Amino acid sequence: MRNARRVSITILLALLAGGFAQAQGTEPILIGVSGPLTGPNAQYGRAWQKGFDLALEEINAAGGVRGRKLQYVFTDTQNDPRQTVAVAQKYITDPRIVLATGDFSSTSSMAASALYQRAGLVQFGFNNSNPAFTLGGDYCWSNSPSDANEAPAQAAYAQVLGLKNVAVFQLDTDWGKTAGDLTVAALGRDGVRVALREAYLPDEKDFKPSILKAKAAGVDGFVFVAYASDAALLVQQIRGQGIDLPIVANGANATADFPALAGKAAEGVFVAGDFSPDDPRPEVQAFAKKWRERYDEDLDYFAVHAYDSMKLMAAVIELGGPDRKAIRDAFGEVKDVPSIIYGKVSFNPVTRKVDDFLGARLVIRDGQFAVWDGKRP
Amino acid sequence: MGALLQSWAGQVLNGLVLGNVYALMAAGLALVFGAARLVNFAQGSVYMAGSYAAWFLIARLGWPLWAALPGAAIAGAALGLAIEALAVRPYRRSGGVAPLLATIGAGMMLDGLAEVLFTPTPRSFPNLPFTARYSLGPVSIGGLDLLILCATALCALGLLAFLKLTRAGRGLRAAAQDLEAALQMGVRAESSGAAAFAIASALGALAGALVGLYYNFISPSVGFQAGLKGFTACVLGGLGGIGASMAGGLVLGLGESLGVALFGSSYRGLVSYGLLLAILFLRPEGLFGRRGRGVALSGGREIGLGSFLPLRGAWRPSKPLAAALALAALALPLANPGPYVLQVLAGAWISALFALSLSFVAGGPGIMSLGHAGLMAIGAYASGLLTLKAGWPFVPAFLSAGLIAAVLGAAIAFPALRLKGHYIAIAMLGLGEIVNQVILNWDSLTQGALGLAGIPAPRLLALEITSAGGFYYLSLAVLGAGFAALAAALRSPLGRTLRALREDETAAVSLGIGARSYKTLAFAIGAFFAGLAGALTAHLYTYVSHETFGSSYSILGVTMAILGGLGNLWGALLGALSLSALPELLRFAQGGRGIVYGAILLLALRFRPQGLLGSE
Repeated sequence: MRNARRVSITILLALLAGGFAQAQGTEPILIGVSGPLTGPNAQYGRAWQKGFDLALEEINAAGGVRGRKLQYVFTDTQNDPRQTVAVAQKYITDPRIVLATGDFSSTSSMAASALYQRAGLVQFGFNNSNPAFTLGGDYCWSNSPSDANEAPAQAAYAQVLGLKNVAVFQLDTDWGKTAGDLTVAALGRDGVRVALREAYLPDEKDFKPSILKAKAAGVDGFVFVAYASDAALLVQQIRGQGIDLPIVANGANATADFPALAGKAAEGVFVAGDFSPDDPRPEVQAFAKKWRERYDEDLDYFAVHAYDSMKLMAAVIELGGPDRKAIRDAFGEVKDVPSIIYGKVSFNPVTRKVDDFLGARLVIRDGQFAVWDGKRP
Repeated sequence: MGALLQSWAGQVLNGLVLGNVYALMAAGLALVFGAARLVNFAQGSVYMAGSYAAWFLIARLGWPLWAALPGAAIAGAALGLAIEALAVRPYRRSGGVAPLLATIGAGMMLDGLAEVLFTPTPRSFPNLPFTARYSLGPVSIGGLDLLILCATALCALGLLAFLKLTRAGRGLRAAAQDLEAALQMGVRAESSGAAAFAIASALGALAGALVGLYYNFISPSVGFQAGLKGFTACVLGGLGGIGASMAGGLVLGLGESLGVALFGSSYRGLVSYGLLLAILFLRPEGLFGRRGRGVALSGGREIGLGSFLPLRGAWRPSKPLAAALALAALALPLANPGPYVLQVLAGAWISALFALSLSFVAGGPGIMSLGHAGLMAIGAYASGLLTLKAGWPFVPAFLSAGLIAAVLGAAIAFPALRLKGHYIAIAMLGLGEIVNQVILNWDSLTQGALGLAGIPAPRLLALEITSAGGFYYLSLAVLGAGFAALAAALRSPLGRTLRALREDETAAVSLGIGARSYKTLAFAIGAFFAGLAGALTAHLYTYVSHETFGSSYSILGVTMAILGGLGNLWGALLGALSLSALPELLRFAQGGRGIVYGAILLLALRFRPQGLLGSE
């Protein structure tokens, strides 16, 4: 009973505050986030929250957006397409939500795209690298570094490192398959032979049979299309077999989780990242310092990208105003928004994606991501 | 040639290490099965807890390895005793599969608890010991490989000594051979059950700790698969025999390692569950079990559906009330509850159709179909492929999906229906896994891991259904049709025959009823509607993959059917509605969902084992 009373008092207060705020025209502008907070991808949703929170602290400390506070509501979907659809219905019918963002995987997002498109609410798939995502309609936008940019960058890194005959380990999901196809094609164009391509399931723990196969095939290096937790297992098992060949991992592994999970085995792994935390740009240095102070941990790709994306959404709403259709138009008009990952970012209004790509050739030294010094292994 | 030999020797070594871990899991499961005739579905979660215990002791408290491993085993034993006292013993009276389902609930709660306590982010050990490698002829062997081989060998010897030399051990063996005779000879069932759980859980926790060290990777979501692998090992060797189960573990480990080496990593599941089904169908007493003693073919007493769950007090609404409920469902969108509520309810109607099908199959032919979501996957892919690739219109594709699910379901269930009791439940679980593994690996037809995206919206003649209200009415209509058809089937002579088979199969068969063909027919009817539910899901959400209808969805369906009351179609409706609305209400309780689902299952089994509305 006491709880019930406390809850009803809280609701009453919230309603009063809401009404008051409305009367003053200062109620916050709301962004709806659809993403995983439980289930196998929960760690990424948690990383997003950190990035969003830091960005919003800065935005709101600087006066918010159009004089109002910017806030987000995060609804857990477990990255399950059945739930992203339900959450889309919720956001569409909530008039306070001016912009929706998420979900984690492209396919989960794409299941809801038709709903957002029909309702005229922008679905900003900031994490969705699948080239097909923005084909959902003119309300579907993404600033994710595209697989079409990342894959050739990774292949070129492998070639520059002098690899000739590699084994590709690729996560067997919608993302892994798309990115893996692009990477294998790019390796072929660069004259790197793919001796073995192993697709593994998200819950795979034992890579030794595949590693022994690669060893027997006489490869001179490994290429990963993986997330950090799988890549950590892979490098430990490769090094555990006494194999000391170069490893080139994709950009998603430019996260503190990877060396933290893999320990010494991560030393010397090459990562074709999207940006470098050692980038001398002052905004990157200031951001990295702030991040370490706030969270006491190193930069995480998913969190940095979430931070960048929140800043970008704020810029879009500032330009277009808190109106769903105006926001759609503003996505096409916004120009050169400062970004950690891109330097400056704008959208291509035809593809509704970002053409810019900096890319960074990283290598892990002492558990940290350093810029590659150009020395071949 | 040298490289090839080296590679194969390495594969065999890897298979042996993996097999030793499976053997530990299998020994634990076999112990509990022997002492209590119970398939312990919480074993995987104990394994997960063991890996966290070792991690906590080493990484947080700084214990040395030699102390942390026994520490993890002791923690596991304590957890095992708690599971036995809280989630098994109170359910004994309910009999049948109630304790089995209770262990599923306990496992869900443990997994959810780990996610809350340790967060979903995987953990690793800071400074891993035993990283040196040694060369033995063609084999390069690591320190951790040796540790696992030695630790499991020690455990096996210790277990053997305990079983042969101690009084409690002899009691356990006697119970495993003949439970009733052992009870008469003065073996105390309760204490030997508790002892079996404690030892089994210590072994499971130790296996988890060793694997955590081996892969240096600890996460809250590893338990379910590990448990499944343990059962597979048990059944492969021979359910009930401890030595046979451990040997089964070795065979499974070697088979997986060599299978992956030959076919590739994504075939791992297909290899292990394929082995499981092959054994179940060809030699159900297991590779090393003795023919004739096997409980498989004669186990009608063990879990006949007659003693399945108490069958009492089935509540059914009166005709006017049923009509009023149906009208209320029809009129609900007129009250304009908003598209979000309608979308959630449309999903609930589809889940309800799935739960109806499960409840029918459990209540009619008496099959605990633990892999029922596989049938939904078949329906979803059939309808999705027919519309996307063959260009069929929605209605014929949708109906064909039901038929395809019925035919394929009957074809794959027919051999399984020869089995009884626990075996059929495990076979069904394996079948569900196999369906998804085939979908994943049959790339040319199903697009493999990409899944099917862009499945067209349902279209009835010229009317394309895209609004939440449209989804709501379409799924409600299909649910209504399914309900009417299944209710009619239960009332028909077929239904009477099925009930006769369920109550006393021997008597029914002696009256000339062909048990297997009737059961297959009933299963096909249930599968038809599960297939329709899958097809609806595909068209409403426009996307399906091999993960959409995994084992956890099957278990959710079973929970719905049991919560409402098995065999009671109204109960299935209520169970599905409550459990579909729950995640929406629980969105605030991040990470706590597993705990709540598990608690609901446990409480329902404890206080209303016949289900909310009673079973029939």
